[in-house]
Amino acid sequence: MSSTAIALLLTLAPLAAFVLALVVFPRQRRVASATVVGAGALSLGGALWLLRAGPMDAPQLWPWFGAERGTMAFGLLLDGPNLLFGAVVALVALAVMVYSLGYMAGDRGWSRYFALLALFAWSMLSFVYAANLLQMFIFWELVGLASFLLIGFWYEKPAAAAAARKAFIMTRIGDVGLMIGMILLFNATGTLDVRELSSPQLLGQIPQARLALIALLFFAGVVGKSAQFPLHTWLPDAMEGPTPVSALLHSATMVAAGVYLFARFHPLFLAVHYVGQIVLGVALGTALLAATMALVERDIKRVLAYSSISQLGFMLVGLAVGSLHAGLFHLVTHAFFKALLFLCAGAYIHHYGSNDLVVLGRAGGRTQRWTTLGLIVGAGALAGLPPLAGFFSKEAVLAALAEHQPLPVVALAYLCSFLTAYYSFRMVFLIVRPNPGSAAVAPAAAEHDHHAPSATHAGGERAMLGPIIVLTALAAVAGLGGAYIGRMAGVTPEHPHTLGMALAIAVALAGVGLAWLEFGRRGAAQLGFVARVPALQTLFERRWYIDAFYAAVVGRLLDGVSRLCARVEARGLDASVDGMARGTVAGGRAASDVQGGRLQVYIGASVLLLAVACYLVGAL
Amino acid sequence: MTLQTLLLVALALFCIGLYGVLSRRHLVGVLVGLELMLNAASLNLLAFSRAGMGDAVTGQVIVLFIIGLAAAEVALALSIIVALYRRRRSVDIDRLHELRG
Amino acid sequence: MLENAMLENVRVLGSAAWVFVALALIGGALAVTLPNILHAIFSLALSLVGVALLFLALGSPFVAAMQVLIYVGGISVAMVFAVMFAFALREGPAGAARRRRGLAGAAALGVFAALGPLIARASWSPHFARNDWTVAALGRALLQHYNVVFEALSVVLLLAIVGAIIVARREPPQ
Repeated sequence: MSSTAIALLLTLAPLAAFVLALVVFPRQRRVASATVVGAGALSLGGALWLLRAGPMDAPQLWPWFGAERGTMAFGLLLDGPNLLFGAVVALVALAVMVYSLGYMAGDRGWSRYFALLALFAWSMLSFVYAANLLQMFIFWELVGLASFLLIGFWYEKPAAAAAARKAFIMTRIGDVGLMIGMILLFNATGTLDVRELSSPQLLGQIPQARLALIALLFFAGVVGKSAQFPLHTWLPDAMEGPTPVSALLHSATMVAAGVYLFARFHPLFLAVHYVGQIVLGVALGTALLAATMALVERDIKRVLAYSSISQLGFMLVGLAVGSLHAGLFHLVTHAFFKALLFLCAGAYIHHYGSNDLVVLGRAGGRTQRWTTLGLIVGAGALAGLPPLAGFFSKEAVLAALAEHQPLPVVALAYLCSFLTAYYSFRMVFLIVRPNPGSAAVAPAAAEHDHHAPSATHAGGERAMLGPIIVLTALAAVAGLGGAYIGRMAGVTPEHPHTLGMALAIAVALAGVGLAWLEFGRRGAAQLGFVARVPALQTLFERRWYIDAFYAAVVGRLLDGVSRLCARVEARGLDASVDGMARGTVAGGRAASDVQGGRLQVYIGASVLLLAVACYLVGAL
Repeated sequence: MTLQTLLLVALALFCIGLYGVLSRRHLVGVLVGLELMLNAASLNLLAFSRAGMGDAVTGQVIVLFIIGLAAAEVALALSIIVALYRRRRSVDIDRLHELRG
Repeated sequence: MLENAMLENVRVLGSAAWVFVALALIGGALAVTLPNILHAIFSLALSLVGVALLFLALGSPFVAAMQVLIYVGGISVAMVFAVMFAFALREGPAGAARRRRGLAGAAALGVFAALGPLIARASWSPHFARNDWTVAALGRALLQHYNVVFEALSVVLLLAIVGAIIVARREPPQ
């Protein structure tokens, strides 16, 4: 079979599964989920096959519609980065699907859930293999839709519904920028094809100011989708959705779509120098911001959410300084270890019925052997400890940074690494080495996931362990694929400096060490160093008051606009319509007065009409 | 005085009479207005006749007939008014009108 | 041409013709606005005299005489008699009087505005003819050409009188 056919099969299989699970088999739950998992497996198989077959540089296009500036086509692009990311997406998707068989057992919306997973898989894969920007945008939006539906999966929970709305609206804000950028780009170049837009000659034709504007507008879309400052507040709230959804969408794939877009249009973003600087600033700032918020968080999923924001920023940092390799490498490894971490978190939540780190630890979290192993490996990869995957990819980013950027910037990046290591192992130690007598207090209200603790799903838990084990292995060894990734992307991998490597290891160990001191060792107080500065603690806990600011300003602004519109409607539009009605009725009543039976009215009217008639006749 | 002017005078008289017909509440008041209108028409006819349009004598004859008919009409109208008053004790148009729209 | 003829006629009375016009119009205006009905009828009589004088000024003394005899002498007096029978001298309370007067005024003005310009702008082609403008001719016309109408008018008058008597008489006791 040709690559094109395989690609079509692997992208459309989930679509078929979606339709089947939603429309045909919703009552037959086993069949529905089996269809979706089967499609997922098919997609993975196809993606791996394509990876082995190697990249095809020329896209397969079918003409779609013609516009004045150029024709739009629909097609598949099967070059290196696409194949790579596609395989990652398919792998994580399948892992999550299998995991969900255990996690979501007993849920009322089983078939709907799997159907939505299939919808997401279709949209995401079609996004990855898209040949032009318009196509990417369509699936970008579809991915956003799937995210909305999945975050708000338990729609009876008001918090979940609100979180889904918030996510959708915030990403939409970014998407507006992306769309405008797209329009401007098309206007300037007459094409939206990915390959054509990567050529420096074409980009060179666009005036610099216009190019910078387009790049920044695209970046707005990236900011929205990948939850960077200032559109980052939706991601922590999105944790209201089921944990497998968080693993798939909000760590590994959907939020990575923004970063991936950046990578795809790397030449466009780097064409104007100060755009890169702006992106670097935003990304690095976000990375640090999110890391601080993770330092004090007690909800395990929220810690991981902040971590995702932070790591996405880190990827963008790598891309912004010009290293496509660093960005893609970290994207791939992050997908594995973050998904792993989420799945482990889900396993704990599923078993103990609580999200809180302290509660999980004291309930005996360490007794879940495979899950705990996965947790430690995932956290180690996140912290950047060798020889786990995260070390190599983080090293690549730091090396790229050290090459061109001034010392303060590099220092900030290392600070971020330190904080990352610290909070990851804070999480680990709170679970693995709980200290019942420590100063950490269990929360009064248990804020937990949808399920009650389920001790009855032995089989279910087996389904959950499989993916965890697979991802653990990948998180451990994926770091060795750096060179391979470089080859696929067609770029030279970063050459690691020994000094840089040593520094990175040192920083990571320092973070782990501090976490051990504060949380891990016997008799530790289990209060972070941040807790000693209550002002900082509050600042980080309240997410730097950004959420509050948005609620106050934006909420009030929108409120005002809505109220204004309501008033215009009531007094203006409604009133005018009412006025017309009333005027008509009044006019009718006045007109009927003429026929009121009063003689003098009759006479007056007739004479007047006669006079007017004479006038008209005379005037003509 | 030109023909135009005289005609306009007649028209003015006609309009005055029309106003009387339309605005009066007393039945005889309406009749007064009506008489003014008839007179205006007579004036018109005589003016045209004098100006040589149509037969010279015809205008005067018509005016004579108008006067005669007006007399007959007024006689009948007044008798109706008297009869109305006997039955309804009022000659106010607003209290008398039974026709409804 | 007519102007000359008219002036010829009018010049005899000079500006008196305008006095007759004023008489007619003012009398009419008073007739339609005075609240006391007897005053209104007298004003009507005044206006009719004015019109009669205009008839005279236009050169038709017979018609003028008839106007005074019949209209002023007969019709106006008959009206006064009828009013005495009906005993309502003043108009009733002015309820919607203002509105009615406003609309009536509007209608009247409308008619004037519609027909006035027509009259003013029309191109009459008057010419003066004096030949048959005599009472003898008038009498001849009445009894020869318009004989039937003349007789019919007499019958109408008779019928009117009879009708008036029948309508206005009291119900005979059964």
